[in-house]
Parts: sequence; C-alpha cells; structure tokens
Amino acid sequence: MPGFAHIVAAASIALIATASTAADQNEGSRLAKLLAGDPAAGFARALEPRAFDFPHDHGPHPEYRNEWWYFTGNLEDASGRRFGYELTFFRVALGTEPPRSDSAWRSNQVYMAHFAVTDASSERFYVAERFSRAALGLAGAARDPFAVWIDNWSIRERPPGSFAESSPERERWTLSAADDRIALKLDLAALKPPALNGSDGLSRKSADPGNASYYYSISRWQSSGMLSIGAETYAVTGHSWLDREWSTSALADEQVGWDWFALQLSDGTDIMFYNLRNTDGSQDAHSAGTWIGPDGTATSIRPGEIDIAATGTWESPSGGRYPSGWELRVPGRELAVTVAPVIDNQELRTLVRYWEGAVDVRGRLGDIAVTGRGYVELTGYADTPSSAE
Amino acid sequence: MPITLMADTTDIEIRLRKLSRAFSEGKHVHQVLHGIDADFARGETIAIRGRSGSGKSTLLNLIAGIDVPDAGSIEVSGIDITKLSERDRTLFRRKHVGFVYQAFNLVPTLTVADNIRLVLELNEVTRIDANARIRELLDAVELSDRADSFPDILSGGEQQRVAIARALCHGPAVLLADEPTGNLDDATADAVLRLLDQLVRAAGGTMLIATHSARVARFCDCSLTLAAGKLMAE
Amino acid sequence: MPVIYRASLSYLLRHPWQLTLAVVGICIGVAVIVAVDLANSSARKAFLLSMDAITGVATHQVIGGPAGLDETLYRELRVARGLTNIAPVVEGYGDAPSGPVRIFGVDVFAERAMERFADLDSVATDDDPTSLIGDLLTEPGAALVSEATAAALGLRRGDMIELVTAGRVHAARIIGIFESTGGAADDVLLTDVATAQVWLNQPGRLTRIDARLGDHPDAVARFQEILPAGTRLLSAAGRTRATTEMSTAFMTNLTAMSLLALLVGLFLIYNSVSFSVLQRRGLIGVLRALGITRRQAFTLVVVESAGIGLIASVIGVLVGIGLGERLLVLVSQSINDLYFRVNVTAVDVSGLSITKGMLAGIAASTLAAAVPAFEAAAYPPRLALLRSTVEHRARHLVPLIAGLGVLTLLVAAATLWSSARSLVAGLAAVFLVIFGFAMCIPLAVRGLAILFERPGRHLAGLPGAMAISGIATSLSRTGVAIVALAVAVSATIGVSVMVDSFRGSVSAWLERSLQADVYVGAQGGPLDPEVIADLAALPGVAHVSSSRRARFEYTGGQTDVLAIDMAPGSYAGTEIIDSLDVDVWRAFDAGDAVLVSEPYAYQHEVAPGDTITLPTTSGDRIFPIVAIYQSYDVSASAILMSRDTYDRYWDDTAIDSIGLYLDEGANADAIIAMATAIAANRQALRARSNSDIRVLSLEIFDRTFIITDVLYWLATGVALIGILSAMLALQLERARDLAVLRALGMTPAELGGMITLQTGAIGLFSGLAALPLGVAMAYILIDVINRRAFGWQIDMDVGAGVLVSAVLFAVLAAVVAGLYPAWRAANSRPALAMREE
Repeated sequence: MPGFAHIVAAASIALIATASTAADQNEGSRLAKLLAGDPAAGFARALEPRAFDFPHDHGPHPEYRNEWWYFTGNLEDASGRRFGYELTFFRVALGTEPPRSDSAWRSNQVYMAHFAVTDASSERFYVAERFSRAALGLAGAARDPFAVWIDNWSIRERPPGSFAESSPERERWTLSAADDRIALKLDLAALKPPALNGSDGLSRKSADPGNASYYYSISRWQSSGMLSIGAETYAVTGHSWLDREWSTSALADEQVGWDWFALQLSDGTDIMFYNLRNTDGSQDAHSAGTWIGPDGTATSIRPGEIDIAATGTWESPSGGRYPSGWELRVPGRELAVTVAPVIDNQELRTLVRYWEGAVDVRGRLGDIAVTGRGYVELTGYADTPSSAE
Repeated sequence: MPITLMADTTDIEIRLRKLSRAFSEGKHVHQVLHGIDADFARGETIAIRGRSGSGKSTLLNLIAGIDVPDAGSIEVSGIDITKLSERDRTLFRRKHVGFVYQAFNLVPTLTVADNIRLVLELNEVTRIDANARIRELLDAVELSDRADSFPDILSGGEQQRVAIARALCHGPAVLLADEPTGNLDDATADAVLRLLDQLVRAAGGTMLIATHSARVARFCDCSLTLAAGKLMAE
Repeated sequence: MPVIYRASLSYLLRHPWQLTLAVVGICIGVAVIVAVDLANSSARKAFLLSMDAITGVATHQVIGGPAGLDETLYRELRVARGLTNIAPVVEGYGDAPSGPVRIFGVDVFAERAMERFADLDSVATDDDPTSLIGDLLTEPGAALVSEATAAALGLRRGDMIELVTAGRVHAARIIGIFESTGGAADDVLLTDVATAQVWLNQPGRLTRIDARLGDHPDAVARFQEILPAGTRLLSAAGRTRATTEMSTAFMTNLTAMSLLALLVGLFLIYNSVSFSVLQRRGLIGVLRALGITRRQAFTLVVVESAGIGLIASVIGVLVGIGLGERLLVLVSQSINDLYFRVNVTAVDVSGLSITKGMLAGIAASTLAAAVPAFEAAAYPPRLALLRSTVEHRARHLVPLIAGLGVLTLLVAAATLWSSARSLVAGLAAVFLVIFGFAMCIPLAVRGLAILFERPGRHLAGLPGAMAISGIATSLSRTGVAIVALAVAVSATIGVSVMVDSFRGSVSAWLERSLQADVYVGAQGGPLDPEVIADLAALPGVAHVSSSRRARFEYTGGQTDVLAIDMAPGSYAGTEIIDSLDVDVWRAFDAGDAVLVSEPYAYQHEVAPGDTITLPTTSGDRIFPIVAIYQSYDVSASAILMSRDTYDRYWDDTAIDSIGLYLDEGANADAIIAMATAIAANRQALRARSNSDIRVLSLEIFDRTFIITDVLYWLATGVALIGILSAMLALQLERARDLAVLRALGMTPAELGGMITLQTGAIGLFSGLAALPLGVAMAYILIDVINRRAFGWQIDMDVGAGVLVSAVLFAVLAAVVAGLYPAWRAANSRPALAMREE
C-alpha cells in the first residue's frame, strides 16, 4: 500500500485544525503544494534493495521520514457474527536531527493512528483517530522487544508462551485499542514469514529514483481476542494482515490515488495488489502486487498480469464516488473472483478521507471453488480536486 | 337680610350667605369679611368698592373658589362651592369663572394667542374651535395683529385686553376683575372698561369688579362698598 | 405639546444657565456611574473572556502543589488509563519588551479535545502550513500570537522578540498569528509545552491538566478516584469565579463612589428644579387661578424635571463612555496590582451599563423634582405668593427635617450593628449617614448664621450682617447648595483621612516588616539555587532569609502560603496581633504551627487555636494556627509557615526571594551591584534595598487610590456647580432687592463684595458642617468598609491639616463659584431690575 505518506503528511498539516471537514476541499491543492517542495532533504531514501533483518526491522526507522504499521483483519464470533478491523500507526519525522532540550516533551517524531471496526450484521462502521508526539512515552515505537503505541492503543511483541499452533520462530504480538464506543484486544500469531514486496522489498512508486519505499507484509496472522462495540463484547477469531512500509517518498504529480487489495483465500493463498491511478484515469505503470502462496512463497504480480474491473459504485454522503465491488482475474494463475464489500459505507472521515473496508471474496482458482476475505483501500476519490466532481 | 339688587328676578347667579374670612398675622387676627349676605343676578355688572385692605380681593378669591371661607356659603350658578373639594373647585373655576387682574398676569413665556389657548385647552376645546375662538376674541379686543407676540412687548392696555380675552374665551358665567385698570392711565382705563363691559354684556355674564375708583364704578349697573367686613349698598 | 408644557419649555429656554447647570449636574453624575460601570464590567468581561478562551471546553482542571504537577501523571492518565479528553498546560508570565505576556504552553494534539484558541484554524491557511506545526513542535522558542496582539506590538510572522522569564532571557520567534475574538487572547504567547517548560524553568512539571469531563457527577468522581495524592480536581468555572470574586469588593467600592457623584448631582438638580419652581410661584399661582389642578401642577414640574433628566442622561452616557475609557486604564491597573492579570484595551459599551446610567439619571432627576413639585402643587391659586411665606414655611420645616435626619442616622447605626460582615450593608450605611447628616445641615447653618452675624457686621457693617443673615433667611435656596458642598467636602475629608490613615499603617508595617537590608528575587520565577549560594557568600552579607509564596487552590477559593526561612532575630519584623498563650516562634520553627494574616483571619473567620487544612504532597493535612499577624500584603490573605515545615510536607525546593542582612557598615548599593554582577550570566536579578521597596510599595499604594481621588474630585465638581447655580439663582431672585440697594447708593464693588462675603460664608458653613460628617465617614470607611472589603485593621489618624484644608477648600470653592454671580449682580442696571417685578 504505497504512497500513504501523503496521509501522514496531510495529517500534520491539519493537526492544528479541528476535526472539521470544512477544509477538505482544499486538501488536494494543499497537498500538491506541500509535495512539490523538497521536504525530504536530509532524510534517508529508499534507493537500493536492502537486507531485511527480522525482528529488528519491525521496529522504527527514524532516518526515513514516514513509516507505518498497518493491521487489518476479518474476525467473527462463535455465532458467525462477522467483523472487520483496522488499526494503523503512522510515524512522521518533522526533522532529521533529534532536538536537544531540557524538556522531555521535545521531539521531532509525530504519530498518528486510525482504529476502525466494521460490524457487518448491524451494518455499522466505527472510526477513531489519535495523534501524539513521540515524547514522554505518550507515543512511539521500539524494537527488541517490538512495540508501537499511541496513548492506550498499541501493538506489542508478546513474551514467548501461549500460541501452540504457531511456529516458535514466528511473531507473536498483541494488539490493543479502545475508544469511546469500540475496543479490541487481539492475540496475533504470524502464520507466514514476512513477504518482501516489489524488488526484494524495494517498492518503486514512480520513475523518479528514490521515490520508493521499503515494503513488506506478513499476510496472515491467526487472531483471537475480544471485541467490544458499545456495551456488547464478542469473543472473536479470524485472520489479520500486516503491511509495513517506510520511505521518504511521495506520489508523482500525475498520480491521484490508488486501489489496494489484500485478499486471503480459503486455500491459504494471499494476494496483494495496488493499482496506482493517474489523473487521466489510467493505470500507472508502477502498480504492483505480490502473490503469496500457502507456504509463504512470494511472487511479484505485474500490472499486465492482473485484471481488476469495478462492478459498482458507492456515493459517499460526504461527497465523492467510490468503486464498490470488483471482478478480479489473474489469468496466469487461473484465478477469477468477485470482491464485494461486506458493507458499503466503510469510509474513514478522518483528516484525509479514504475508504478502507472488509470484503468478501468468491470465485474459482483453477478447478476449485475458493472463498476468501480481505481488505480493500481506496484513496484519492474524495479528497483530490480531480474526484470532487 | 341679603342685599338684593334686582328683587324682581329669581335668576340669581351668585348667592353669598353669612360669609366670613379672617387672616391671622402673628397674634393679631384680622377679620376681613364678617358675615356677608348678598345675591347677584345673572347678567348684572357690579362694582365692589373699598379701601386697600378692605377685603375686596378676598371676596373675589372666595367667589372664584381660590380661597375658602371660615364660615358661610357661596352658591355660584346654583352650586355651593364651599362644599366642593379643592379639585372640584378648581374644575368649577376652570369652567365657570374668568379672572382679570390688576397686574394682568399673562404667562410671559407664552404668546398672546397661546395665553388664550391655555384656558381653552384646559376646557378641552378642540384645536379648530380654539383657533376660531382666539381669532374672534382677538378681533374683539383689536389685537389680531399681536397674536404671536409675547406679552412683555405689549403696552399695559394691550396686556389687559389680552387678559380680558383670556378671561372670557371659555364663556364663563362669572367674570371677576380685581382692579383691572389699576395699572393703566385714565384714557386707556376707560377704553379697557368699555371693552370689558361690552363683551361681558354681549355674553350675558355676571361681572364683579373690585375697585377703589369711583370712575370704574360708573361703568357698572350698581356699586357696593366693602367696609369693616360688611357689604353695603352706596 | 400642551400649552402649559410649552410655557414651561419656553421658561427653561429663557433661563439657559439654569437649564445648563441642571443638565450638567445630572450629566456628571450619570457620566461617572456609566464610566465606572463600563470600566468595571469591561475589566471583568475581558478577564472572563480570556479565561474562557484559555479554558476552552475544559470543565475541570487537575492542579498540584506549589511546584505544579509531575508531567508523568499526564502519561499515566493518557497511556495507562486511556483518557483522551485531557490536555497538559504549562502556564506562566514573562516580560516582553512591550510588557508582561502570558506564556501558554500546550500540546497541539491534545488541544484538539479542548477547542480553545479555536481560531487557530486560520493559521493553517498560511502559505507553508506544515512548517508551522513542525516548527512549533521542534523549534525551541517558536510561538504564536493573536492578530490583535500582533497588530498592537507590530509583530509579523518570523519576528523575534526577547522574553525574560525567571530572570533569564529567551528568544521567541513568532511563527504564526491566529485570529481571536474580543481581545480574548491578547497578551498570550501560545507555544509548545516543551518551550514553555524551558522558558519558565519548569522541566518535568505541568501547571495543570485540563479535562473535559462533562457534567455527569460519576465521570468527575471516577476521574477523582484515579488522581494521586497531592493533586486536586477543580471545576474550571469555579476557579474562574473564585478569581473574579476577589475583585468584587474593589468593584463594589468603585460603584459606591460613582453613586456618590450621582448623589451630589441629585442635590444639584433638586436645587435647580426647586429654584425654577420658586421663581415661577407667581406663574403657577396664575395657572392655578386659571383652573390648573394640583395634580396637573405637580405633573408639570415632575415631567419638566424628568425631561431635563432625560437630556442630561443622554449626554451623561456619551460623556461616560469617553470617561470610561480613561477610568478603565486606572481600574485595570489597580486590578493588576491587587488581584489578577487582566489585559483590557477597549471599553466594552454594554447596553446594561447605558441603561443603568439612563435610569439613574432620570430617576434621580424625577426624585429630585418630587419635593419642589409637591411645593408647586401646594401653592394656592394666588396672584402672588410672598417670598417670606416660602421662607416662613422653610423655617418651619428645618427642625422637622433635622429630626428626620437624626432618625436616619439612627437607622444607619442600626444597619451597621446588625450587618456583621456585609459590605453592601456597610456602604448603605455610609449613604444613610450622608443623608442623615445632610438633613441636619440646614439647622446647623441657621445656628451658624446667628453665630456669625455679629462678626459679619464687624467685618462689613450692615451689608455684612445682611449677607450672613441672608443665608439663613434664604435657606430654601442656599440650604441645598450648602448641603451639596458639605457632602462633597465631607467625602474628601472621609476619604483623605481613610487614605492617610491607611497609608500611615502600611508605611509603618513596611518599616517594621522589611528587616533585611537588601531583597533579591528574579522576575517571573524562582531564584537559581547556585545564585543564592553565591549571594550568601558575598563579603558583607551576614545572614540570609528566604521566602517562597505558594498558592493553593481549593473549591471556591485560594490561599497563599508564605514559607519563610527567617534570619536570626528577625521575628520582630512580624507583628503579632493575637496569639495563643504559647511561645509562638518556637511553635512556628519547631512544630507544624502556622500564622495567619489578619485579612485571612477575618475572611475565613479563624482565630488562634483553630486549624487549617492544606493539601500537601501526600494529601490533606491539618495545621494548627498559633497566631494572627499584621499584613497589608495587597494580594490579600496568606498563611505564614516556616521553611522547615514547608519542606516537610511539600516537594518544592524553590525560593522566590531572599533577604540579605548586611554587616555593620556594609553598603547596600555596593552589595546590589555585586549581586547583580555575579548572577549576570545566569539570572537577571531584581535586587533592591529595603528603602527602595518601601518607596515602591507606597507608589503602588498611591496608584490604587488615584481612581478614588478622581471620583471624589468629580463629586466636588458637581457640588461647585451647585454653589454657582444656587448663587446665580439667589442673585436673580433678589435682583429687585439688590437693585434697591444700588438705588440707595451702594456701589457695584460694595454690592459684589457683599455677595462674595455671602458665598464665602456659605463655603465656611459648608466646610464646618462637613467636618463631623467627614470624620464619621472616615470612621465608617476605615472600620467598616475597609475591614469588610479587605479585612484590614487600620489605625485611624485624623490630621488637623486635612480638616483645616477641607474648610479652606470649601470657602475658596464657594467664593470662586460665587464670583460670576457677584459680578453679574454688581453690574446689573438697578432700574431694569426694579421694573421687572
């Protein structure tokens, strides 16, 4: 899920604005102005493939401007009640040199987090967001043991123990977040090793060298825990997906947004693809994806190898028209599935407005019928001037 | 036994009975009026003569309801005003009595016309009627051209003519004049008296003139003298 | 307009000076009321507005001990407890080149829940929005100011200003300018928590944590439960209320003073109206003869006066708005000196203030007309009412009024006795005393006139005797003028005596309590401990004392604790007013005993032997009160505690100021120079000798009473106009008599001299009549008003100088006011005057 940097950057612009959406119309032009400059001076850039070192690389990389930990997942309780969730931590560096100060509040690292829950059976969607500086322990990220947090929202490495079914060398984390109406506490056990996206983890976003990120996914986590919505609490299980990315890059001028798919099929296959869209509506050549087999083997998917066609649209009550429902084919793998949102309205009306929601997958893989679940992210439909009409 | 000037008429306008009034100055009590009985018929013009301090003004004030007697009754147009409250006496005076003073007593801050209008207004005469009446009266006293003048630029005779117009404007049954020519020279005095007499007679009113002057008394139907608190025919 | 009203309007227009003086009298009264009300309400509103802006939607505030809160409490609440509707604040004051500024350190992220400085939005529209937030977070010294502040100080984005806090110089860079409404955020320097901590030298500490808990008591109770010992949860509204209430007594006093101006104005319009009625008694007699009822005559006079009141009030309101702006400077200065920080630049013209002024003006003039109107209605419909009849009646009334006055004085005394602590009742008693005394003055004047008739004859022959006796025989005229002047003069006596006594007490207190030779502090913060050590080691310094002022807030109020480390033998600097039968200083040094200031004892109704509960670091603790000490410390009530006791219960090592006791022969100025020099690179010190502090303190004291002076001078101005008006009226009234005197051969100079003698005597009588009233007022102001308002006990000190100068002033004022009437009378043509009647 590339180029999400702009959300983080935009967040820092709008941080001092109250959460009103009145300024949204300007967001695109403001962004363009912001991205046209060279705010990246002094930061490290993703130019070459690098050797990843896990679990070390789960921790922060403050020499890069932006970084995120992006969990999505599909859960259900014993009665089959269907839920989706998203818990995302963004880090943005406001400068390269850590400031020296007598005050423990001084920091150049800012964190933002989004927490969303989809309740499919009652067709409700809940969102909360947080901001904080990485100071005084209010927010931050750490390695060995791994942790990332804002306030009482966190993802942390668990001490060795309980998860019998996962391989001992795989990640065992806990995820915890609570807001006024929603709360989630999950035990997470990675079922696959990290899959490096792009070229050995270097994910190019445009022809411009350095306009790239380091990008890996752990595409399948056994997840179990408690989910609360209002006064109700559900014991839930399911699968989660982690995307990890850090960079000092941005969208190219002609790119307007992307459609990101993270699908977990019933046969154990996971598919990630992001479709970068240009302002003229065409697919950008730097769109890319990864096919992750049941054994964790990762193979790149090139734009020409996949065919995604939207089958419907959804009109946001706050303005903007999103695609909704897709026919997705990978002819080379004999995959043909439909992807359908579990509910239409999974739009996050946060500082930057975007759609990110749980989806159901149904179709055929070769000869066999497959089902699946996943998450789709749609950006650039509501906030940019090009989509305003 | 009341003094009756026209015994043959029952048309009595003013009836005084046992009227007494005294003033105290320190310890000394000065009995000004001492049991006066008198009847004055409608349409009569009477001169009340007497020396200064004989009680002429007091008698007029009592008839006007300005002052109240210590004893006795005053009946004017059939109403015993001694039985009225202060407020009712004022309203009675406003409607039925006209007053002309030696010192004219025009309101200095009002024009000639407004001085007359004041009384008309108190009697709730409409504005249109009042304007007509003022014009008529000023014509009668030959001051039409001074309607908008203030009193202080008028001569004494002119001021007294305004005062007469004011006193008669609402058609009072009784006109009381207290030394009306006291501040005027003889020629002017005669002119003013002629005018007063003419207007009062024309309106059919009863007029009492308090004066010390025989000259003034000549203009009246009859003349009475006030002395030692008693009223006597000459 | 009915003809009779036209007659009355025409009369007023023909006597323009009379009309003018009546208008001016009420006008000044109304203007002063409006001005004081506007100044008060503007100051209060500005304060509330700034509190609102700074409080935002926060409903509660968590505060700690004297050193603030440990910042880790915030992390605890946010991360471990998961609370979101809380925001940290580091707040304090610094000095910019333009003057004091409020440093307000916040966390921009937490601010999203607080909605204060909501117009910060507008900053984001600047051309480089990302750098703004980035700079605020990362750049030491980055700050924002409001548009109004920027305009007032000529600041633009990117400008640097030098800021002095806690004696240290910092550079602030203006990185943005935000919109604010109504001057709410004027003088605020908005910055990041980190910057504020550094500027205010409070690393690791927060001033408070603001919380948005809503109204639900459960939420408040739950929040309360998780707070550690040594912290308190206060309602934001209650905190604001408690602060504003500190100034209530001050503002009530100002309002009372403004009423005094109206009261004197009331005398003046009474004077004018009753004169106009008297002068028109002939006219009214004629009107009555023509058939005007008593009620109509009464209404005529009242309506006429109300009309004058209306016009005067309109002008008064306009003048008042202008005056209010000047007064506001004085009021806000005093509030800043005495109570809380308020920055207010413009008068907020409120409809309420204007309505108050209009109502006061019209009501006063209508009320003032009531008596003359009754008089007019009582005139029999005569052709001419003799002057002597009026005076005759007045003579009869004089003892009656005096009797009523005595009755009023008794009521005043009863009010004082029965209202133990009420300030408003005390002020009501002051007015009752004024009224009561005022009613006795005519009788006193008559006595004085009889007394002075013989001296008058000796001085100026028969005309002299006439001048003096004329005052008594024309009491219906002169009485009111004398009363007005006497009230004004007595007010100046009362206030002068009060201020002088107060000043004397304060001066003596300063003399006694400033025991050290040199006092050293740092502006806007505690002293650097190393600097203290270096200063103690200076040659010539024998001993060092230290003090720390800690403010404790609780629901509904606040208390200052003064933690003192006394130098040996300096106990004598503290005057014990009342104590338990123990060794006070032993208990103070060794035990937990505390001393409370006199205002504190009065306001909280505590005495030695009682206890006081204070929030220590480990929770509430009870301290015994062993004594009450004298203090005129302007920031009101305080508790005195030994430094040892303080250190036992509070985790706060800061020292605000130290006193240096010098060796015999050591030069204070030299020590100050040395002290400043050795601290130069660390802290800018404010070091002063005790004599300098005494002078400075008295300057602040005097500044506080400027506004009092201004108000009393305005009241005196009204009274002088009263004298002028009364004398003119009297001269006009007596034009015929004076013309006869001229006709009999008196020269204009002789006539003028006689009138001047008369006005001089009026002044003298007023001044003499003012003496007992003035002293009585001083007594009430000192023993009742000051005590009820501030809790201070002051030794009353009536200086003969004050009394003599008050009488001289009254004579001089009356003579000056009588000059024009005298000149006028002397130069009138006798023939003309005689013809007029």
